[in-house]
Amino acid sequence: MQTVHMRSPEGEVKEVEATTETLTPLMVAGWHQVPAPAASPEPLAQKPVALAMEEK
Amino acid sequence: MANINELMEGWGFGKQTAIGTANTSTAIWRQTNLNTKPWAKVPVNEDDRAEIGKGHEFPTQLFRSHYNMPPFELSKYASSEFLAWAMCFSMGNVTLTGSGPYTYVIVPALGATNTTGLELPYFSFVQQIRPGGSAVLDEMLVGCAVKSWKLSIKNSPGRASAMCSVECVTTGQYTSPSGITLPAVSTPHEFNAGMITALTFNGINYLSGGSAKQFVSMEASWENNFRPGFFPGSGSQDGYQIQGRFEWGDRAFAVQFVVRVQAGSTEYSNLINLTTGTATFTMARDANNSFSMLIQKMGFSVAELGNTEGIVTLQITGVQLYDATNGLVTMTIITPLTGICQ
Repeated sequence: MQTVHMRSPEGEVKEVEATTETLTPLMVAGWHQVPAPAASPEPLAQKPVALAMEEK
Repeated sequence: MANINELMEGWGFGKQTAIGTANTSTAIWRQTNLNTKPWAKVPVNEDDRAEIGKGHEFPTQLFRSHYNMPPFELSKYASSEFLAWAMCFSMGNVTLTGSGPYTYVIVPALGATNTTGLELPYFSFVQQIRPGGSAVLDEMLVGCAVKSWKLSIKNSPGRASAMCSVECVTTGQYTSPSGITLPAVSTPHEFNAGMITALTFNGINYLSGGSAKQFVSMEASWENNFRPGFFPGSGSQDGYQIQGRFEWGDRAFAVQFVVRVQAGSTEYSNLINLTTGTATFTMARDANNSFSMLIQKMGFSVAELGNTEGIVTLQITGVQLYDATNGLVTMTIITPLTGICQ
């Protein structure tokens, strides 16, 4: 199922089904297409910090 | 000297970022046009004949006034690409989905919620004859908008059975030479009347059932009725004032169609009973190319009895009513090209 992100005139962003039936009432009510929000980055596993040893 | 056949035309399928900022070449396609006239630039001069104090009534001086750019027609066989372009630029509220083919869902923008107010997207128009060092014509008109379109469907063979013409306007701003190298002529995916897969107006299905062979022709049109765009600060070109905006006025969406009359035809009763219903018109070439016009609530205002090539017909004038939830009309177009009006 294709989806698309739409933004209401008040600023609410919603992911909806990309069909004419779903989009029409939203677009008539003033919703506009917006890019999909960037995916939030996965939390990275903490690596143990290796202490750099100064070469002598 | 040059033959008009040498005229090459290209225009932005992508929208300009602002009315005075031209399309870049990556967002310009080259297309053929059945209108054989180039887009004329018409600078207008004025004189001082109306001013007294000269000792006579005759003019003595010329002044640069403004660019009065005439509307220009793009007349084409209907294709998925061109219909997507025409509907996007004439109506303004576009949602693009898919990853090839691409689906464009388009409704008329409303001033209250349109991000550019009463203005529609703008595009640039390039016309060239022998571009290069000794060009006969090489210019790019900046800040063009779609004023109106007309979609005509006829029961004739071939490409001429489905035509779309678009009337465009422009500000008067231009660059010459254009600085654009036009790509090869694109090959649009065209429709013809045989590809109509849905044709139901106000509850009457003209593709199947008792009314299946009734339909003769249809003409749908859109008019943005732009207001003149001259205002303080609208800009100038060559010392002539140019337009700085095209704001839609009272827009008009008209649909007329002709059907054969037969026993039990319900068009007339729909009219006098004030019956309303949706109207669906779809042309589908293949899975990648289709055009669908969904009129949300149509009634009939005129049903005029006549004759078309010896057959008794009714010419119906539709009234397209605005539905509080679904609006006036929704265009859904599937085409292989992305980036139209983006």
